[in-house]
Amino acid sequence: MSYRIPMGPYHPALEEPYKLDMICEGETVADAQLHIGFNFRGIEHLAETRNYIQVIALMERVCGICSNIHTLTLCQAMEQLTGLEPPPRAKYIRVVMAELERLHSHTLWAGIAAKLMGFKTMFMTCFELREKVMDVLQAVSGNRVNYSMNRIGGVNRDIADPAAMIPMIDALEREMLRTVIPIFTTSSTARSRCAGVGVLTHEKAVSCGVVGPTARASGVPQDLRRDAPYAAYAEMAFNVPVEQDGDVRARLMVRALEIMESCSILRQALEKMPLGEVHVPEGKIDFQGGTAISRVEAPRGEVMYSVTWKEHTRNPARVHVRTPTFANMPAVRWMVRGARLADTPLIQASIDPCYSCTDR
Amino acid sequence: MTSLDSIAVLLGVEPRWEQRRGAYWLDPQGRGVREVAGAMNTAGARFVTITAYELAEHPAMSLEYHWDLEGRLLGVPFTIATREIDSIFDLCEAADWIEREVHEGFAIDFTGRAYEPLLLRAGATPGVNLHEEGQ
Repeated sequence: MSYRIPMGPYHPALEEPYKLDMICEGETVADAQLHIGFNFRGIEHLAETRNYIQVIALMERVCGICSNIHTLTLCQAMEQLTGLEPPPRAKYIRVVMAELERLHSHTLWAGIAAKLMGFKTMFMTCFELREKVMDVLQAVSGNRVNYSMNRIGGVNRDIADPAAMIPMIDALEREMLRTVIPIFTTSSTARSRCAGVGVLTHEKAVSCGVVGPTARASGVPQDLRRDAPYAAYAEMAFNVPVEQDGDVRARLMVRALEIMESCSILRQALEKMPLGEVHVPEGKIDFQGGTAISRVEAPRGEVMYSVTWKEHTRNPARVHVRTPTFANMPAVRWMVRGARLADTPLIQASIDPCYSCTDR
Repeated sequence: MTSLDSIAVLLGVEPRWEQRRGAYWLDPQGRGVREVAGAMNTAGARFVTITAYELAEHPAMSLEYHWDLEGRLLGVPFTIATREIDSIFDLCEAADWIEREVHEGFAIDFTGRAYEPLLLRAGATPGVNLHEEGQ
């Protein structure tokens, strides 16, 4: 006999509100429907009422985890409409901020995944690591969530002593290699909760158009940092981790390996950072009319901004945001089909969903 | 022949891709959105999103469809005089949520598909979120 179990919109296993309506047969999920929009904020419409400075602050609040990525993407689009090219040092600082944000996002996710596995010790370890990254973000920007680093034509703050950040990267890398990766890959608790659970096949990943670690864990080797480099990524050497199994363990492994790659990118960016200005000279900003599009690889996958401006005006005519969770979340339906009911909180968490982004 | 040209060949249109501000744009030259989606599928392009704009000539709208091909963002714009366009959901599963969102935000009907509410709650009306009534 089938029965229906709603999970959400407010549920202990969810960090933010959304609803998974599951049809179960015994302990097995036969099908599921997803419902979002419980916190819809109309930010795209609100953006049309903000000028080119205010809109940056507004879009930084689309997401509480990858706030920097949103302003980076928006500023890159606005730079195309104004013809203002950021100086080389600003592009390196943008890479540093983006990778620090990826580190903090991935360690936060690893902690939450550990908690959902019932692995509280690992949760504490991951959050301790995340705290170290947050300290660096705070030291650079003065802020812990909305860093306010990006502006049209560069960044707001310089990194006075890039070499001072290297010890933090060393410590993070050491702890990942010593504790997090070995435990996640060899612990029987982690393996039993993750291996073969919540599988998204390669074919379904392609069909659903998923992005980021969710795609790469299903054997789809896409990463905009390599495929369509922006900021200073063309000058960085790094690997794009790809796993083939498409299960929760593969998504965990991809993120763990990406933490190592982020450390490598950070080290390169800090060592090679050129001297010079961090933004174009102050002055009146004049927009050309038309649409500009920018994409970046956020911690959860591709973010796209399509920004339209009427010539010589101060406010955007349209700002459309395609967030990674918006692309990834429909695939949760296919991941939970055939899964045990008890695994569904971990499965939905394995895409690292951001409902704040989705309900932008 | 480049992969971009192969899409134009599949569509039977002039391969006039214009690289402009972050995307490669192609005028569909009268081809329908379903023909374009079919050609993108054949070329192995990944669907990204649809961006909807209100045009000054109410109720005309511009719908810009985006795909990714080998790291290049492709854009194909469609102008619709009435608030109706064919759905590509059956050709492209990834278009499901954005078609539902655009339907709810701008009251555009993607014909040939059934809708389930995405953002709207019970009793709400499509078109109240982003559609500027009477513009």
